[in-house]
Formats: sequence, C-alpha cells, structure tokens
Amino acid sequence: MPKTNYVAFILNAHLPYVRHLEYPRFLEEDWLYEAISETYLPMIRMLNRIADDQLPVRLVISVSPTLATMLGDEPLQERFLAYLQKHIELGQKEVQRTASEQREYAEMAQEYLNRYQSDLEDFEACGRNILESFRRLEERGVVQLITTAATHAYLPLYQEFPAAINAQVDLGIKSHLENFGRMTRGFWLPECGYFPGLERYLKVKGVQWFQCSSQSMLLSPDRVDAGNLRPIRCPNGVAAFPRDYELTSLVWSNTEGYPCDPRYREFYRDIGYDLPMDYIRDYIDASGQRIFTGYKYCAITGMTNEKAPYVPSVARDLVKVHASNFLYNVQDKARRTSKLVGEKPFFTLAFDCELFGHWWYEGIDWLEQVLRQSCTDACTTEMTTPSLFLETKPNLQTARPAYSSWGVGGFSSTWLDGSNQWIYRHVFEAIKRMGELAERFPDQTSLKRRFLNQAAREVLLSMASDWPFIMYSKSDAAYAKKRFEGHLENFNVVYSNMCKNAVNTEWLVKAERKDLIFKDINYNIFRG
Amino acid sequence: MVLINLGALSDSELRYIAQQEGFGDWEDADRDDLIERLQEKYEEEDNPVPETKGSGTARRYLTSLTDFGMEASSSDELPGVEKLPEDYNSTSVHLLIRDPQWAYVYWSVAPAVRETLDDKDGCGLFLRVQQQPEGTGSPVVFDIEVGLNDNEWNINLSDSSGLYTILLCYRHADGTIQQLAASGSVAMYRPYWADHYEEIGAEADLFNIYFSSLVTRSGEPVDNQIIRNIARIFTEGESHAKN
Repeated sequence: MPKTNYVAFILNAHLPYVRHLEYPRFLEEDWLYEAISETYLPMIRMLNRIADDQLPVRLVISVSPTLATMLGDEPLQERFLAYLQKHIELGQKEVQRTASEQREYAEMAQEYLNRYQSDLEDFEACGRNILESFRRLEERGVVQLITTAATHAYLPLYQEFPAAINAQVDLGIKSHLENFGRMTRGFWLPECGYFPGLERYLKVKGVQWFQCSSQSMLLSPDRVDAGNLRPIRCPNGVAAFPRDYELTSLVWSNTEGYPCDPRYREFYRDIGYDLPMDYIRDYIDASGQRIFTGYKYCAITGMTNEKAPYVPSVARDLVKVHASNFLYNVQDKARRTSKLVGEKPFFTLAFDCELFGHWWYEGIDWLEQVLRQSCTDACTTEMTTPSLFLETKPNLQTARPAYSSWGVGGFSSTWLDGSNQWIYRHVFEAIKRMGELAERFPDQTSLKRRFLNQAAREVLLSMASDWPFIMYSKSDAAYAKKRFEGHLENFNVVYSNMCKNAVNTEWLVKAERKDLIFKDINYNIFRG
Repeated sequence: MVLINLGALSDSELRYIAQQEGFGDWEDADRDDLIERLQEKYEEEDNPVPETKGSGTARRYLTSLTDFGMEASSSDELPGVEKLPEDYNSTSVHLLIRDPQWAYVYWSVAPAVRETLDDKDGCGLFLRVQQQPEGTGSPVVFDIEVGLNDNEWNINLSDSSGLYTILLCYRHADGTIQQLAASGSVAMYRPYWADHYEEIGAEADLFNIYFSSLVTRSGEPVDNQIIRNIARIFTEGESHAKN
C-alpha cells in the first residue's frame, strides 16, 4: 500500500556530566553504566539488526555533548567494564541461586546474564567507545545523529543572556562535529524548551530543524492551519516539528501507556532491595546502602507489594501486540486527519532514549517491532526523519511556535519553582561575570587562557537542566545542589583571581583534570 | 521524564522514601498509609503557586536517574574555593517567565546603595511592573510594595502578552521615586486562539486538527491551562449548539 503518513522517532540520549574519579566507586556514575548496558548497547544491537535486514526505516538520535564526552572517556570506559564484570559475576550467582531456590525467576536470571555478556562483547568490539557504534549506524543509514545544547541547558530561562545561549548552541554543534565528523542538521531543544527567537541562534549555525512541545502550535500567535499534524517553518526558515501528544502518550503515560501493562517487567522491584544483605552486600554500595542491581524478576502486576513473577514469553507476545496497536493508532489517526489538512500528516514522536530498555525493559523490542511492522506492505506509515522530509521540499506554513516546554504545565515551572529558583541568582551572576572577564581579558594566551577556559566550562556545567530538574523532582536533590554550587564556586575562584590579575595554578591543574569536557573551548565565546 | 508509580514500590523502598521525606513513623506506618501520605506530600509540592497548575500535574522522575543519595565530592577539595555568597555586591533586578500567568522576579541591592535609602514610614522599595501591549496600546503599569529584606517575588501577570519589564524602585520620604535597576525585557505573545475561541469552537474540523494531537486516547488533554480553557469553551459551545 502507498505510504500516506510519516512518523519521526526522535530519541534524546542525554545524561549530565558525572565523573568522580576521586572516589573508587561513585554511585551516580551508575546512571551512565545503567544507560549503556540497558539502553544504548541493546539499542545499537537492535538497529544493526534493522540495518542488516536493509529495512527502509530511519530514526533520529540526539547524543548530548555531556553524554558523548563520558562515552569517550577512557577512565569511565574502564569503570564500565568493571561494572559489567561485577554484574556478570552476580548473574552467575543468580543463575545458580534461582535454579535451586526460585525457579520461577531462573529464565530471567539467565536472560540478564546473557545480556551483560553481550554487552561486554559488544563493548570490546567497538573499542570500548560506543560513539563509534553510533557513527557506524549513521553510515549504515538507519539513524540520523543530531546534537543538543552543550550541557543540555533549559534555554528559555536564559533569554537575558544571548552570549550564554550562543555558547550552548555553538559548543553543542562543535562537539557533534568532533564526535561524529559531520555537521548536525537538527538540534534537540533540551526539554522541548522553546522561546520566540531561539531559532535565530540555530539558523546562524546552519541548523535546519528542531523539535518542540505539543502545545507550541495551538498557543502560537499565528493561526497554524495544520496544528501539530505538519511541521512549520519559523519566519527565518528553520523548521519546527511539534510533538504529537496523543501518539506519544500511547507509550509515555503512567496510566495508560503500553509500559504500564501489568505483564511487563516491574522496574522498581530489584534484588538489591529484596535479597538478604549477606548475599547482596558485594553488589550494592560499600556503605551497605541498598541500590538497584539490574536483576529484576517481577511483573508490574498492579498496585500491590505482592508481585507476580515476570514471564518473558508473555511479554514478548505482548510487545508484538502493542507494536501492532501503535501502528494501528498511527494509521487510524492519519486516516482521520489527512483529509482535514489536505496533505500527508507528519507525526513527531520525541522521547528520552533511556525510556527504552532502562525504564521500559521491553521498550527496545517494541521499537524494533514497530520499525519492522511498518515495512510490511499493509502498513501505510513511513518511518522517516525531519531531515529526509525537508529534502522533499514540502510546502510548509510559515508561523511562530509558542513559548513552551514538555515540562509540567507546558512552560517553565519544572525548572523554575520553589525548589530551584534560587539557582538563577547565582548562575546569572556567573554568566554576567564571565562576559566581563571575556571583555576585560580578550584573546589571552597560555595560563590565563586555560584559566578563563576553565571558568567558561564551569559556567556551562552549572547551566545543565538536570540540576534544577533533580531539585524539582527531589530524586537526588543533595547531589544536584552540590554539583551546581561546586561549579559556580569553582568559577568564582577564576573570577576573584582574575580581578587581581592572578592565576591559581594549583586549582587550575586540578580543575582541568576533574572536568575533561569541551577541551577546545574558547572562553571568548562569552563576549557579548 | 516518566511518572513514579508509588504503588509499584516495594515496602522497603517506600519506607526508605518515607524516611528521606522525614516521616517520623516510617518504620511502623502501613503500606497504604505511606502511599497516601507520600502522594499528598507530592501533590502539595507540585502546587507551589496556586492557580497555575491543573489536575493533570504529577510528580515526575527523570528517566535513568536513580536516587543514590551519594554525597558528591566536595569542590572545596580544590584549593582556593569558597562557598557561594548569599548575595552579590550589585544592584539589579531579573525577570523570568514561569508561565503565561506567573513570573519570578529576584533582585539585589548593593550595600552602598542600601545605605543611601531612608528607613521611614512611607518610604520603601517597590517593583514597578511595566507591560507594553502588542500593537499600539498604552503601557500597563502597576507597583508591588516589597520589604527591604525581600529579594524575590512571584508576580501574577495581568495579560499574557506584550513586552514585560520590571523596574526596581525606591520611594523617598519626599515622594520622589528613584529607579535602582531595570530588568531585561521579555516578550510574550498572545495565542491566536485566545482571541478566536468562537472560530475554533464553531468549526469541528479545526478543533479536531488541533486536539487530535493534544489529548490522550482517553481524552485527557496535555497539561496546560490555556489548552484546558479552549477545550472547555469548545465543549460548552457544542452543548449550547445542541440545546
């Protein structure tokens, strides 16, 4: 059947920059290791299968500069290896234990062990740098890689500081070029955060498109004729692709999304919490603090403490049903709406990449099924990318998206509420002072240049949207607060020293070693 | 972001969270009680500013970031690092738009400037909110009295459009007003549909074009007050038409 509608999956692979080599083990680094093991490597394996079968599908993955830096960092790669080895060791114990004590969990224990072993093989095969695997996927044509703001700053709240926004955009793009060897065509707006005029910063860097929130069209100051069913062009020509909330919520809803099905695996039930301390001690934190180990054997079941065992074969069948249902809903929507807009509808689906595999254990299998089923003759949906769509030179309306985000309430409340609004007093002052330093000490060389460059790194790292979000969610607020304050305290070392025309070399050497990010940064980017 | 499902947590995890949230009886309280109280607590926290959030708000957790509660390495391990100051030696005011109804404003007054300000009845700091409407309308100006020890304020925006600027001002004993600082200006645009409810309300196709992408399968609209207003007005329009 002819393709009558388009779907673009845009996955945001992002983690804040967390690297604490000063500790033998630092638990927040597990954010990275869990994501590599449970999302990125399985996703790469899945996409390679799609490429092997030469299926005509594409999706977009935004790899944030902070994540890319960590993925390319040798000490973190070595630590990930140790993480895998520890999990394999636990898996071997679990296979034995479940075979004798909890046979209903034995199949899953083996499945996890197999996955960690595959992770180890694949990780070594790509030279321990999975950026290389992403690069190869792009060469194979199954993925388009794009970038985002340098430290994933929530940009609408920085409107007062154009130099800071420019630095976020510019370094995001340079980082992508350095990591993947080609210019990005799309730009992931962190948190789908858009404010009127943001497209100007993108246009001058050659960006052709960005994704934006579901409400950005309905709240536009212009009459957008096709709502969210087609992208638009901003007045300067950069295209905006609004998320489709209805189709997104088929997946991303905690009340009615597919991942809520009681037969899928429960994320929150983990042997790290459930097994006796004597058994699990070596696989949790040395302090005895219980943490997730990744070995989870229960199905969601329902709102109860008594969870049923997870049955992989049941979940595998369910994945196919849910993939089919998803495509049914896409095509049904296309049928309902194509007459209304008079063109092929284009549905933009934007997700955090780590939803798939990490949070929703079956998510990568589901995505594979969606991609495969879309290639059948009976399916009228074409899996494409915004870039490929724009190459067809579609007729798009020119209009202005509205200030919006995908956060609570659709605006900035998530990153600006009672829990985190205090940060802006400090980060704005640092941005202003960074601008002052750049104006007063332009084009420095040698030590002062390094000193000022480190100051610029600290300011950028303090701008990450992760810190106010974690404060808001109270998920690990003490860590977020400490990180935020630490970066600005470091910045103040440079500021106070430069005001005396001095360089604290001891601090500089240690700080550079601590934050190995944006190695080619030029602090002059903060000049107004 | 994904939503946390409290009911899915094990008893030990619930007790851990309850302990972190400062529940004195976290060890003894029963499971349902803990879930109910945690949900209440989160709902309260999700609504710090009244009227800006709808019923659809929910506590969110960042995907892939588990709470490890680990103490971060302290930056004071680096030489020469000092704690962040509470304030900076500057006089300034800053405006951040939280949503079309609310803005957050913070300011500081340098000690040297503060010394020049009187401390008598009738004197005082105030924020002057200036809104230049889109087009050629006259500016809207209103003042908010604040204390000398205040340094932040949530401002209810009278109209979610136009160019907003905040002036930090001081009224002296003789009635003269001194402007201490001005914020940057932030432009807000009024949604086209806010002035054309009847158009979208009268045309089912148009309504479907928009709302087909803004509601879940079960009819729950995306979390946004303006969108809920439009949906309500459309629904009311439909029922009027039927009557």
